[in-house]
Amino acid sequence: MSYARKSFLFWLLLSPLLIVILLPYAVMLSTALKPATEVFTFPPRWLPETIDLSNFTIIWTKIDFGRALLNSLYVSVGATILTLLLAIPAAYAMARYTLPARGALRLFLLLTQMISPVVLIIGIFRMMSAQGLINDHRSLILAYSGFSVAFAVWMLQSYFETIPREIEEAAHIDGASWFASLRHIFLPLAMPAIGVTAIFTFIAAWTDFILAFTLLRTPDKLTATMKLFYLVSGTYHVDWNEVMAATLVTTVPIAAIFILLQKQIVGGLALGAVK
Amino acid sequence: MSRPHLLLPFAMLLPSLALVIWIMGYPVTDLMRMSVHAVNRFGQAGNFVGALNFSKLFADPLFWASFRRTVIWTVCVTSGTILISIPVALVLSQDFAGRSVARLIVLLPWAVSATMTGIVWRWTLNGQFGMLNALLLQFGLTDQPIEFLATGEVAFPVAILIGILAAVPLTVIIFLGAFSSLPGDVFDAARIDGAGPLNTFRYMTLPLIRPFVNIAIVLNVIYAFNSFAIIWILTQGGPANSTDILVTYLYKVAFQYGKMAEASAMSLMMFAFLLVFCILYARFAMRERAL
Repeated sequence: MSYARKSFLFWLLLSPLLIVILLPYAVMLSTALKPATEVFTFPPRWLPETIDLSNFTIIWTKIDFGRALLNSLYVSVGATILTLLLAIPAAYAMARYTLPARGALRLFLLLTQMISPVVLIIGIFRMMSAQGLINDHRSLILAYSGFSVAFAVWMLQSYFETIPREIEEAAHIDGASWFASLRHIFLPLAMPAIGVTAIFTFIAAWTDFILAFTLLRTPDKLTATMKLFYLVSGTYHVDWNEVMAATLVTTVPIAAIFILLQKQIVGGLALGAVK
Repeated sequence: MSRPHLLLPFAMLLPSLALVIWIMGYPVTDLMRMSVHAVNRFGQAGNFVGALNFSKLFADPLFWASFRRTVIWTVCVTSGTILISIPVALVLSQDFAGRSVARLIVLLPWAVSATMTGIVWRWTLNGQFGMLNALLLQFGLTDQPIEFLATGEVAFPVAILIGILAAVPLTVIIFLGAFSSLPGDVFDAARIDGAGPLNTFRYMTLPLIRPFVNIAIVLNVIYAFNSFAIIWILTQGGPANSTDILVTYLYKVAFQYGKMAEASAMSLMMFAFLLVFCILYARFAMRERAL
């Protein structure tokens, strides 16, 4: 079988799945570009008769979507920074020192990274309200970090182990202090792993539903995900053209990150899932 | 190693461990306490009631209906995902024109959240103005628009299909790893000895990727069991609880019906179930790492 025929056959085999995956994106784009009058016509049409970009401006003024995006950005970046600050030293300790109970520690990390907040949500809500942190972004940052840090330590330490000790030891011999060799030798080498871990933590926070749904109360605090959810669930009438424009704005940056860093992210995912 | 030497690594580990133990330990302890006490609407624990909250829960027909649906949901999503992902990963691990683009499209939904997927599908499935109905009408597959989310009988299977779609990317990634780990020379030898592609897959590929299948099953069970967002966005468990699974019903019992004690009992049992699968996952993953 020639290369061209083989390629055609494989694309044909994949096409049902590809169509189902791409359908929502096509719907998103098609609806986001339509004026409201064209959205609610029967039967619905794929191509807008007039392309209307006003949906993308309306979402900033009418539903204050900019604030929601900023809230999402704030909690996701906050959670990423906190997670890395905690996980980098922990992973370094696991990779470089012979610890007693190391096996138990690894088992603990492996187990807790799989626990999701959903089954504990009542307890988490009560804990945060006892701390006075309901409707406070700090509760989300703490919770996101709490549920991400085990995975982050796990991923970082398996990468740190591949950085040879000899490089640091050589720096010691040349008179560098422990901290200096850590900062100038080790951390630059560990940057790729830290970057991928940061992306994972960020995406996990950015895409969260249940914690933001439970811990946030007022419209001004809502994340982008929550804002969109309340737009489509609460009221009887939904302005789908605006919702789709907002969904597009929320999705595109994450999709762009994924496309740019596909190789590293997939590598990290495989590592996290299998090793 | 001497004691002062261990002080530093433990100091480095402590903050991470403390955060994990706090964020999971406090809720678990609190749930345990509430599950055996009477709890009023404001969440204050009263008298010790033993197993009463559990027996109340077991007498609740909606709990059992959600339980049954959770089993269907988890089994269908897990098996559907794996049955789709193995052939897709097999194709994506071959060399063909445009493979990187195909890979990208298949894996992309992982980065776009279940929430976004749910919201867009809710609109795509809209009974009157939705695009899916437009397509079906256009190709003459139906002469009347279908109300996909109006009844549980239709909405639940639709939700299962969307659940599968959301789980495919990660599972494909697992199997891509599996196929790339296969020893090429053994397969060359088999081909020279005249083994056909079907026999090769049945007797060589499948046994070799068995550990990855185990991991994929356990991971998907965990994800499916926990998937709150897709059902909540599509139907909120409705109409009339007809699409509730345990996680969505739990949320309602706790925060809408205000029965905190029963919800705690339910939550604890779900946590225990999840823990069993997490232990299974840890065992499989550890074994894989040892290889």
